[in-house]
Amino acid sequence: MTDETAVISHPLPKTVWASLFDPTILRQAIGDSFKKLAPQYQWRNPVMFVVYLGSLLTTALYVQALGGQGEAPAGFILAVTLWLWVTLLFANFAESVAEGRAKAQAASLRRARGAVMAKRLHEPRQGASWSKVEGPLLRKGDVVLVEAGDLMPADGEVIEGVASVDESAITGESAPVIRESGGDFSAVTGGTRLLSDWLVVRIAVNPGEAFLDRMIAMVEAAKRQKTPNEIALTILLVALTLIFLFVTVTLLPFSAYSVEVMKAGAPVTTVLVALLGCLIPTTIGALLSAIGIAGMGRMMQKNVVAVSGRAVEAAGDVDVLLLDKTGTITLGNRHATAFLHAGGVAVKELADAAQLASLADETPEGRSVVVLAKHQFGLRGRDIHALGATSCRSVPTPG
Amino acid sequence: MSYLTQMLGLTVQNFLSAATGMAIVVALIRGFVRRSADGIGNFWVDMTRSTLYILLPLSLILAVLLASQGVVQTFDAYKTVPLLEPVTYEQPKLDAEGKPLTDTSGNPLTETLTAKEQVIAVGPAASQIAIKQLGTNGGGFFNVNSAHPLENATPFSNFLEMLAIVLIPAALCYTFGKMVGDTRQGWAILAAMTILFIGLLLPAEYSEWKGNPAFASLEVDQTASEAQAGGNMEGKEARFGIVSSALWATVTTAASNGSVNSMHDSFTPLGGLVPMWLMQLGEVVYGGVGSGLYGMLVFAIIAVFVAGPMIGRTPEYLGKKIEAFEMTMAGIAILITPLLVLVGTALAVSLTAGKATIFNPGAHGFSEVLYAFSSASNNNGSAFAGLGANNPFYNTALGIIMFLGRYWIAVPVLAIAGSLAAKKLVPSGLGTLPTHTPLFVVLLIGTVLMVGALNFIPALALGPVVEHLMMIGAR
Repeated sequence: MTDETAVISHPLPKTVWASLFDPTILRQAIGDSFKKLAPQYQWRNPVMFVVYLGSLLTTALYVQALGGQGEAPAGFILAVTLWLWVTLLFANFAESVAEGRAKAQAASLRRARGAVMAKRLHEPRQGASWSKVEGPLLRKGDVVLVEAGDLMPADGEVIEGVASVDESAITGESAPVIRESGGDFSAVTGGTRLLSDWLVVRIAVNPGEAFLDRMIAMVEAAKRQKTPNEIALTILLVALTLIFLFVTVTLLPFSAYSVEVMKAGAPVTTVLVALLGCLIPTTIGALLSAIGIAGMGRMMQKNVVAVSGRAVEAAGDVDVLLLDKTGTITLGNRHATAFLHAGGVAVKELADAAQLASLADETPEGRSVVVLAKHQFGLRGRDIHALGATSCRSVPTPG
Repeated sequence: MSYLTQMLGLTVQNFLSAATGMAIVVALIRGFVRRSADGIGNFWVDMTRSTLYILLPLSLILAVLLASQGVVQTFDAYKTVPLLEPVTYEQPKLDAEGKPLTDTSGNPLTETLTAKEQVIAVGPAASQIAIKQLGTNGGGFFNVNSAHPLENATPFSNFLEMLAIVLIPAALCYTFGKMVGDTRQGWAILAAMTILFIGLLLPAEYSEWKGNPAFASLEVDQTASEAQAGGNMEGKEARFGIVSSALWATVTTAASNGSVNSMHDSFTPLGGLVPMWLMQLGEVVYGGVGSGLYGMLVFAIIAVFVAGPMIGRTPEYLGKKIEAFEMTMAGIAILITPLLVLVGTALAVSLTAGKATIFNPGAHGFSEVLYAFSSASNNNGSAFAGLGANNPFYNTALGIIMFLGRYWIAVPVLAIAGSLAAKKLVPSGLGTLPTHTPLFVVLLIGTVLMVGALNFIPALALGPVVEHLMMIGAR
């Protein structure tokens, strides 16, 4: 995985998948598609801006035609004008719907995060009085108390205490690590869980700077950057639009010349704008930003949060994914889920042997074997000392 | 022009123009081949090599072959020969100031003269023709170009001259494949060019062979028979007939040659549309020496870029990623032809100076102007000669457009070459779009046609297509 994607180990709440036809989103989108007709917004998409100018031109021609001076029947100009405006509105609508869905997803992500409560200390020492605050409200410099079983509310530095921390959610290392004040092991990361004892931690980041916050910002498209391919595609679309602009604009003198020498007909303008609208790549130009947002939405459904549009593209180029540790992409706490026996050995016999072998193993893997044997076959965990076991030596076998 | 000017001045241009094209295309190919490089070769080295090892030997062979067919090659002065049949003709009498004299009732006075001899132009033609054909330069030694018997003596010399036009541009496709280490890539490009060529040759041949339907009501026999070639023979050399003339017209405009063996202006509307459209495609169907291939490679880059997103991959061509910079440059390159042709034509038909010398006002006059600007911007040089182009307006406009058309495109092409050369090679995988398959050939043809067709069909509809409809309507 690149640095720019993160995989959420637990499925996101169902509400994250905002329906395409959610009435709230649709209502919002319809309003937005009219708001986005403002020139400063249209200017950002060169292809649609050309359509926008064409629509304004035919609207002016329609007004002129109503005054009886039209270059074509008013009804015809009106029809062309309406089509052009509908094209623009649809482009805005598609983008608004995509944005609306992304916002809904971000909102549910934020709800999921708001559940973390922190114990903010009034004085930076253990034993001082504390009050409960929501994780996202913590500022840089706040000092919090974290006790066994608590989630670390944010990234910070240990200033007092020693404790074992389960960092599997971040690093993938299933064995707990020791964190203590001073030295190299004083940094703690938000989202990790304290397994024992307590720590006094000084928060090192402001809300909005942490990893999860960047993910949410990304989903909201607030910091959405165009991907390299998107930029290149936009350039191609602009080049094509320019070409077709030349094609239609030069048709005006061509038709004027033909009219002059043929002494028949009249030069056309409305038809040229309509032709331009047909020739230039409006469909892809209009939907480009919506496609980008949709791409991130798709990855979201696979429990992958893309931190940038570039990451979505990079994901498309991935053939083989090699991971040096499983925890980065899985839960981190490996545990046994089944006993697979070889022929000639009963499953229960295998489970019994495996449990006995794992009794002294304090790692999550070892503990999970004991638990699995108990669940599947009712084998109680036995006291290793009661069995009279002693540490064994390897005995060289003859032959 | 004297023989010395021709041999010293024009020959140098003929060689250099072709050598420049080859130097540019070789630089572009190096862009694909080299990895993380900061150079794409030395222009002077490439130019010298192209001239010494390709153009000189080939033009030597061709000149000798042409001379063997009867194409003249001599330093002698023009020959004066007696006519087999003296011709008697009338000529207006002129006074001392060169004004026609009139009799008392105002009718012009004429005198009867008899011509007994004629002057036959000769010169070192074979050597000039060899390089002008090989280097896709066009421009004949004699005024009627390759319709002249001393410039194009026999059907075999006609074949040789046509072959010479497309020889190097087509062969460069193989060079391309060889240089990038996969000859299939070169064959794919050549296949795309050939399919486009044949696809456009056939309608031109058919249209000329069918002749002019307006003659049907006049009871003129246009069918091919022992005694005549049939079809639309206006403006064609009887020695070559319909097939060779239409073939030449297609070849010379497919490559940016511009030498002619018939009068393109006299082709049927659709027969004339084909050469015009071939030029407007940007001279990429074989095209000029070098310029055809680099034009086609720009289209290939665009084709790959269009296809990339369809299969969800970052577009790559020959292992090089196509990114924003390449697309900007390719965009500039494909902008050139429509911009120059359409804006130039629009100016000509809007300004009084431009309209003044359109001698066939109407759809055909428009076709002539469009042809002139298509020809100039794509460095072709052939013309619909009914347009009076030898005046300040057309000379200036066409001259500027010729200059921009040739050199403007070279700049973005070299920029692409430099940018590609600096890139790393991406090894091809399962998701790479193969660029040597029939699918890619179709894609490439589609891209060329989409850009070429969509751009010029509105303009062509007002010129040749209207002419064609009027011709059918006049039946």
